[in-house]
Amino acid sequence: MAELPLEGIRVLELTTGAAGPTCVRVLCEFGAEVIRAETRLRGDGHRGEDPAKWNKKPDFVKLHRGKKSFTVNMKTEKGRDFIKELAKKCDVLVENYGLGVLERWGLDYPQLKELNPSCILVRVKGLGCTGPHAADLTWGPNVGNLMGSTYLWNYPGATTATAEPRTQHPDFMGGVTGAFAVVLALIHRKKTGRGQWIDNAQLEIGASLLGPRYLEHSVNGRDPQAEGNRSLVAAPYGAYRCKGNDRWCVIAVYTQDEWERFCSLLGEGGIAPNGKFATHLERVRHREELDRWVESWTSQRDAYEVMERLQTVGVCAAVVQDVEDQFKRDVQYAARGFLVKLKEPEAGEVVTEGIPVRLSETPGRVRGPAPLMGEHTHEIARELLGLSDTEIKALEEEGVLV
Amino acid sequence: MVKADEESPLSGYRVLDLAGPLAFHCVKLLADMGADVVKIEPPGGDQARRIPPFKDDLLHPEKSLYFLHYNTNKRGITLNLDSRDGRAIFLELARSADVVVETFRPGRMDELGLGYSVLIAENPGLIMASITPFGQTGPWRDYKATDIAGLALSNLMVLTGEPGEPPVQAPGEVAYGMASTYGAFGVAIALYHRLDTRKGQHIDVSMHECAAHIAGYFIPQYGSSGAKPSRASRKGEETDLYDPYETKNGYVRIFIIPVEQWRRLVEWMGRPEAIAGPEFEKMDYRRRHSEVVHAVVSDFCRRHTKEELYEEGQKRRISVTPINTVREFMESAHTKARQIFIEMEHPVIGKYLHYGPVPRLSETPGQVNRTAPLIGEHNEEIYCGELGFSKEDLIALTAAGAI
Repeated sequence: MAELPLEGIRVLELTTGAAGPTCVRVLCEFGAEVIRAETRLRGDGHRGEDPAKWNKKPDFVKLHRGKKSFTVNMKTEKGRDFIKELAKKCDVLVENYGLGVLERWGLDYPQLKELNPSCILVRVKGLGCTGPHAADLTWGPNVGNLMGSTYLWNYPGATTATAEPRTQHPDFMGGVTGAFAVVLALIHRKKTGRGQWIDNAQLEIGASLLGPRYLEHSVNGRDPQAEGNRSLVAAPYGAYRCKGNDRWCVIAVYTQDEWERFCSLLGEGGIAPNGKFATHLERVRHREELDRWVESWTSQRDAYEVMERLQTVGVCAAVVQDVEDQFKRDVQYAARGFLVKLKEPEAGEVVTEGIPVRLSETPGRVRGPAPLMGEHTHEIARELLGLSDTEIKALEEEGVLV
Repeated sequence: MVKADEESPLSGYRVLDLAGPLAFHCVKLLADMGADVVKIEPPGGDQARRIPPFKDDLLHPEKSLYFLHYNTNKRGITLNLDSRDGRAIFLELARSADVVVETFRPGRMDELGLGYSVLIAENPGLIMASITPFGQTGPWRDYKATDIAGLALSNLMVLTGEPGEPPVQAPGEVAYGMASTYGAFGVAIALYHRLDTRKGQHIDVSMHECAAHIAGYFIPQYGSSGAKPSRASRKGEETDLYDPYETKNGYVRIFIIPVEQWRRLVEWMGRPEAIAGPEFEKMDYRRRHSEVVHAVVSDFCRRHTKEELYEEGQKRRISVTPINTVREFMESAHTKARQIFIEMEHPVIGKYLHYGPVPRLSETPGQVNRTAPLIGEHNEEIYCGELGFSKEDLIALTAAGAI
C-alpha cells in the first residue's frame, strides 16, 4: 500500500460532537496517527449514555473510524498531566470543548507553545474563540440559525420558521476546513519549524457560502428573503413530483438548446407542447404553470426513469434520493466504491461514506474500525507515557486511566 | 527559513483558475490563504458574471455580486482555450504554475490537448484538481449536475420541506461548498507531499460524493438498522427539543441534548408543573410526550423576544439561538467584534463589505489584497510583464480571438 502523506504526524483529539471529530477523521484518512482522549465516566455524545452500547453505535463509527482511544479522567490533576504529556508528543492538537476548558488545563495556545513550540492547535468552535458570544453553547444547526441560513432555507413567503433538514453543513464543512487549515500550518511548519493555532469557527466557515446574500445587503441595502427553488437563470428548475409516494426528481434547464431537447422528449411521451413556454422569459414568468406542465410528464414516471431520460438528452436531472436509494439504486456510488463496509468488533458490519477526494499519488484510506472505549489506553500509556504495567494498573484503580 | 509574519500559508504558490461555480469556494480558499491565483476567463468574461444578484439589479458583467464574492484576491486574464494560440499560452503558464483547478466535464481538458498527462510532462511538480459533479469515472460521469442536483442525490434534500410538498434546496450552494472544501484540502495535502518529493498529482473530486458527507449519519444508521429519516421535524412530531419556537419577534431554536441543559431550561421557565417531573429528564420520554413539552416551551417563548431568549438562555448555559436574517447576522455584536466583514472598494460596484478570510491562522492569517478583477484587467501585467509578449503581440492575439 502507498505511503500516506501525513504518516508520522500524531494528532491528539479532545473533542465531542461532530465538527471536531470530522476534522480529525480527515487527517486520519491521510495518514495521521490519532489519539482520541475520552473517559469511561461519561460516554461521548455519539457513544451514548449506556455503557453496554458504547462500542456499538454506527454514528460513532462514522466519526471515529481508524482512530485510537485513550481513556483518562480529565477531572483529576494526574489525568490532565497525562494529557499535557501527550500534547508534548503530538504534532497537532484538535479540540472543541467549551471555551475556557483548555485555558483551565494549561493547554491554550500560549501555554501549549511553552510545552511544544512546533505544535499546531485547532480550536473548532461554533462561534470562534473571541467576541461577546464566543462561549455560546451551540450545535451545528444552531450556527445555521445565526448566519441566516435557517431563515433563508424555506419556501418563498413561507409562514413556518424553516424547511431545513436536521443535519447541516457547518459541522462537516467546518471539520474539513479545519483539516485544510492544519495542512497549511504543516506546510508553514516544514518551512519555518514553527507551530501556530487556528481559530476555526463553524459559523464563519459555513456562512462564507452566503457571501452573495451578504453583499445583497451591503451593496443593495436589502435583507434577502427565502427563495425556495425559484431561479431566474433556469426554468424549469426545482423538484418535480414523480410516480410513487413522496418521490421527486430535480430538473434544471439552463439553455434554449436544453429546453428544446427537453420538449422533444416530453413530446415523445405524449405531452402536448405549450406555446406559452417558447422563451426563457416566458418560462420564468409562467413558472407555476410550467411546473404543472412538467409534472404532467414526471408524475407518470419513476424518478430514475426521469433522471436517465433527461440526462441522456443532456439535461440536468437528479433523483431526490433517500438513504435507501444511496445503497440500492445509486449506480455511481457503487461503481466508484463510495460506500465502505467496516467490520467492527462489537457493532458488526457498519457502512460509512468513503473518501470523496481522490489523489492519484497519495490517496487516503479508511484506516480501520472505530476504537473500542479505551482500546489503546495501555498501548499509549506504555509507549508514549513510559508507564509500566504495574503503574497502569494502579492508575486504573485510582480512577485516573479510566 | 522564511519569516513567518510576512507570509500567508500559500504565498509563493501560483494557481491557474479554470474553475466554474462548483469550485469557486475552493479557489477562494486558496486565494484567501495567499496563493497567487490567476483567473482565466474566456474573452468576454466568465459565465458566472451573469449570475445574480447584481448591484442595483442591473445585469452587467462587472456588477454580479455572486462573482464579486468568490473572486477577490485574484488577478484576471482572458484566454480562449478553443484557439491554438490560447492553448499554447496556457501551456506556457502551466510550466511555471503549482496548481491548476478545473471543473470541465471529464475528458474536456484532454480534448483541448491540455490533459493531466500533457501538463505533467511539461511540469512534473504540477498539481491538478478536477472538481466535477460525479468525478472522472463511473456511469454518471458525463451527467450534468448543478448544486441542486448534488443536494438531491445526497439524501439531504429529501429531508427538507413540508411533508407532501416539494423538497427545498439549501441557500448558499452547500453541495458546491463541500466539494470545494474537499478540493482545497486535497490541494493542500498534495502541496505538503510535494515539499519532500517534488512530485505533482491529479486530484479527482466528486460533488456527488462530497455532498453525501453532510447527511452522512444516515448511511451507517440505515446500514445497521434500515432506519430512514423523515422530513424535517419542526412541529414537535419527533422533538428532542430541536424545534424553532415562535417569539414576540421571530423564532428561536432551543436544542437540548445534555440533561443538565434540560434541567436549566425547566428552572428558567419557572418549573411548569406539566414538565417538571423527573421522567421528563429522559430524552426518549420527552420525544414520546412531545406535545406536552412543545406546548409549555412555546408558551414560554411567546412571552419574550428572540434577543431576550438568546441572551438569557446562553447566560443560563442552554443552547438557544435566534433565527437571524442576513441583516441581523451582519449587524450582530458578535459579527462586528470578530470583524468578519472588511470594507473594500470595487471600481464599478463601489464600497462594499467583503466577507473576510476564514478560518483564522494565528501566524499565517489569510489576507485580502485586492477586489475581484475586471474582465482582462491583468492581461498586460501577466502577458507582457511575465510571459514577455509585446503590446503588438497582444493586439495580434486579440485579433486571433486568443485573448
